[in-house]
Amino acid sequence: MLTKRQNLMETIKGGNPDRFVNQYEFMDLIMEAPMDLPLAPAPGTRVKNKWGITFDWPADQIGSFPMHDDEHKALKDITDWKNQVKAPAIETSEEAWAAAVAHANSVDRNDKFVTAFCAPGIFEMTHHLMSMEDALMALYEEPEAMKELIDYVVEYELAYANEYLKHIQPDALFHHDDWGSQISTFISPAMFDEFILPAYKKVYGFWKANGVELIVHHSDSYAATLVPEMIEMGVDIWQGVMTTNNVPELIKKYGGQISFMGDIDSGRVDFPGWTREKIYEDAKKACEECGKLYFIPNLSQGLNISSFPGVYEATSEVIDQLSKEMF
Amino acid sequence: MSKIQEVKAKVEAGKSKLVPGLVQEALDEGSSPAEILQAMVDSMGIVGDKFSSGEIFVPEMLIAAKAMSKGVEVLKPLMAGDGSTSLGTCIIGTVAGDLHDIGKNLVSMMIESAGFDMVDLGVDVPADTFVQAVKDNANVKLVACSGLLTTTMPALKEAVQTIKAAHPEMKVIVGGAPVTPEYAAEVGADGYAPDAGSAAVKAKELVTA
Repeated sequence: MLTKRQNLMETIKGGNPDRFVNQYEFMDLIMEAPMDLPLAPAPGTRVKNKWGITFDWPADQIGSFPMHDDEHKALKDITDWKNQVKAPAIETSEEAWAAAVAHANSVDRNDKFVTAFCAPGIFEMTHHLMSMEDALMALYEEPEAMKELIDYVVEYELAYANEYLKHIQPDALFHHDDWGSQISTFISPAMFDEFILPAYKKVYGFWKANGVELIVHHSDSYAATLVPEMIEMGVDIWQGVMTTNNVPELIKKYGGQISFMGDIDSGRVDFPGWTREKIYEDAKKACEECGKLYFIPNLSQGLNISSFPGVYEATSEVIDQLSKEMF
Repeated sequence: MSKIQEVKAKVEAGKSKLVPGLVQEALDEGSSPAEILQAMVDSMGIVGDKFSSGEIFVPEMLIAAKAMSKGVEVLKPLMAGDGSTSLGTCIIGTVAGDLHDIGKNLVSMMIESAGFDMVDLGVDVPADTFVQAVKDNANVKLVACSGLLTTTMPALKEAVQTIKAAHPEMKVIVGGAPVTPEYAAEVGADGYAPDAGSAAVKAKELVTA
């Protein structure tokens, strides 16, 4: 039996996997690394993070949101971003990284990839700072200022990556950045090429140049039209790919250059009245249509969790069952 | 190209700095405010269609809507009290338990561009608040309810049914990622749209039918 890591490599290299890669099993995410995550910690809490962005998680909701009313918007005028945006200092001390180092050292790297986690993404950071509407309009109205702001976020990410690499030599990077809604990308591929692609070529290029073997990018959205860009920036696995992308078609077109992780939409199976039967139905369809290579069945959720208790674990059990049925 | 045609073209291209001046020039040329407004509404119709077909994306739609609103600012003083150009008031909001506002804001912008006066109730709106807003505002012709989460679909149903119970003649349109035409029909909505461009078309269709 192949290790989780070997099975993943066989799957994405077009070899001979002996079962489906089961969701996030190949990544050991080092969540203890000191970074400023884009969320409030729990329902009923509100936090202002080190970028000055306020995240609110109302008690009755399933997640947190950045706040963009006049009082809370961190960046009110893109032309004045240099005065209004201040990146937090990167933690450098051994003490700050100790828990992450201990976790990384405990991982059997023959079995799993020690995986660095990075969120929010570069595009997400722009709209967390200034709201989606302001960020998208600024791409037209103040393109130079937006490019400067994006460069500033890239410099921060590179500095963080540098520190990460110093303390932990990760085998993989799991990086978030949602680039679309369920049915469309937020911006055109041409605009993406101008603003976002160069940024990611720098960031992902840096991690790879420093020994990171695998880049996994999360976008639980439609982004089929951006797959050529994902390949160009160095993404090995697109995680969160939703059924609206026609994943079997993408595998036919791009398999071998990139792999696809998802095709089980969380929105369809992860809700209070969830059932194992519904998960099985969606997962079976995904596995049958997508096949055994360049595909990892997975909920579209951007971490190894579900919104409602038991759904992630039930999905893993279903995928194990499908491996027995199909391999 | 006549000035009114230029207004149309520049709204579609999202040139918000140029549109106010061109609107003024079109007025100076003798075009009526209503004609100019209609030209801009037509432009936004084209923008909505292009968005629905995937030819343009959210930024292009946002800057076009901004250009139109800059043009409308020039016309407003000339059209004050002239209700003849409005399709009526539309109440819009994201249903209870759901905080997503981006899609709802885009729909609001496009319905406004089609000629409605908008009352935006924001996000996490209880069903009763929609009902109250229909009572509190003049000339309400349409209520638009948005829901993005599978978990808030029951709240969407409750909103539609509460509005319909209180105001049986009121037209209600629904949308959001998990909403399907079948679900919209099942909960008793009059209309469904998959995106902001088609929402404007459907809104107009519902109140002019």
